Amino acid sequence: MKNKKAISIVLGLMCFALTLGICVQLKTVKGSNSVISQNYEENNLKAEVLRYKEKYDNKYKELEKAEKELEEERQKSIENNSYLEQKEEEIKQGNKIIGMTEVTGAGVIVTLSDSKKDASTALNVSELLVHDADVLSVINELKNAGAEAISINDQRLVPTSSIVCGGNIIEINGEKVGAPFEIKAIGLPEQLAALSRPGGYLEILKGATVGVDLKKLNSITIPKYTGVITYKYAQNSK
Amino acid sequence: MKANIKKGKITIAIAIGIACFALVFVMLMQFKIVNQTDITAIENMRETELRTELANWKAKYEETELKYEEIREKIDEYKETKQSNEETEKLVDDELEQVNMTLGKTYVEGEGIEVTLRDTENEEISKISSSDLLVIVNALKLAGAEAISINEERIVNMSDIVTINDTFIKVNGQRILAPYIIKAIGNQTYLESALLGNGGYVDELKKIGHDVSIVKINKVKINQYNDEIKIKYME
Repeated sequence: MKNKKAISIVLGLMCFALTLGICVQLKTVKGSNSVISQNYEENNLKAEVLRYKEKYDNKYKELEKAEKELEEERQKSIENNSYLEQKEEEIKQGNKIIGMTEVTGAGVIVTLSDSKKDASTALNVSELLVHDADVLSVINELKNAGAEAISINDQRLVPTSSIVCGGNIIEINGEKVGAPFEIKAIGLPEQLAALSRPGGYLEILKGATVGVDLKKLNSITIPKYTGVITYKYAQNSK
Repeated sequence: MKANIKKGKITIAIAIGIACFALVFVMLMQFKIVNQTDITAIENMRETELRTELANWKAKYEETELKYEEIREKIDEYKETKQSNEETEKLVDDELEQVNMTLGKTYVEGEGIEVTLRDTENEEISKISSSDLLVIVNALKLAGAEAISINEERIVNMSDIVTINDTFIKVNGQRILAPYIIKAIGNQTYLESALLGNGGYVDELKKIGHDVSIVKINKVKINQYNDEIKIKYME
């Protein structure tokens, strides 16, 4: 009889514990219901992002086609008019300089990578990483050394390009790129290579233990800018 | 009697066993669901990121669409003018002017802001450096500046801003002197907020004790790039 009592108490306790467990869990799941509906919203957003990306891609392809057609039409219209042909040449040159066409030429490739050093041994982990300010400074030095065209991880620099830090990635032309950063520059290679001179910015970066590499090449291809430059506020005056 | 009691005990034991099994099973299932909802909680954090992403692609799409319409219009115009030299010349001139505008070879005007940076008399505060100017120009571009100049030196695609011998600043190879006046054309609110508040660079400079002011101007006039832009190495 005593035995029976003990068993039923143990069983009672077990049942109570299990029920309690289930109750707690049910409550948690109920609470996460709102999370699930938010997740639904998020999936919608994701789908919307993809939809616009696709729309953009298609439109951009159409735009590229139209640009070619425009060039053909222009050429047809100015045939045998050397004065206008000269102007058309100016348009083409201008487009090259602002980054609307792919270009090739001699130059350098600078690669900046986060340090391979063990982060735990460093006093300041931040020193081992490449920052947007580093990229900005290297670009500025390349321009100073006479670069004619520059790209970072194949994102062509155009007059409106900016470089911003977004966590462990950098955004250029609104596109996210991550380390290592491959900076291509076309110009006189000897002059561009002066970037690695003692006291130059690359030297400073090396001191900060960031991985730095500079290669001179006879032929580098820099892609065109895949976007459009439009004006909403500025107007030509005079 | 003994057998009867035994039978009863076995039935009870089996019933309890089944009940326990069922309960544990339900608990395990619930654990699984709770685990899954944890993952969605992480994804949930990215909702704002998704919204910016969406806004980005929308803007890019709209811009491209606009440009496309513009080009289609030009194609039609070329087709219409055919061999009429005068009209064709006007079209070519228009296109050339647009390219020159992006190159920085034209005078431009429009709404925007003017940032003035003065060196302070206080010798404990470092002077405005070329990298200060570089960071501000970069921030303005991010905020959608369509044209920028520093002390009338137009910022073009390959413009550099450097300090020479720790003494003076050169923009486009031209020496400029303080005070530095940065002009930018674009949405005034965007441009200003890119420099002020929450990590804005002008705010940072002010905190150190620099004398910086920003004014909104309805018609900012920006100089053209004065030099010829030569290319020698790229094809």
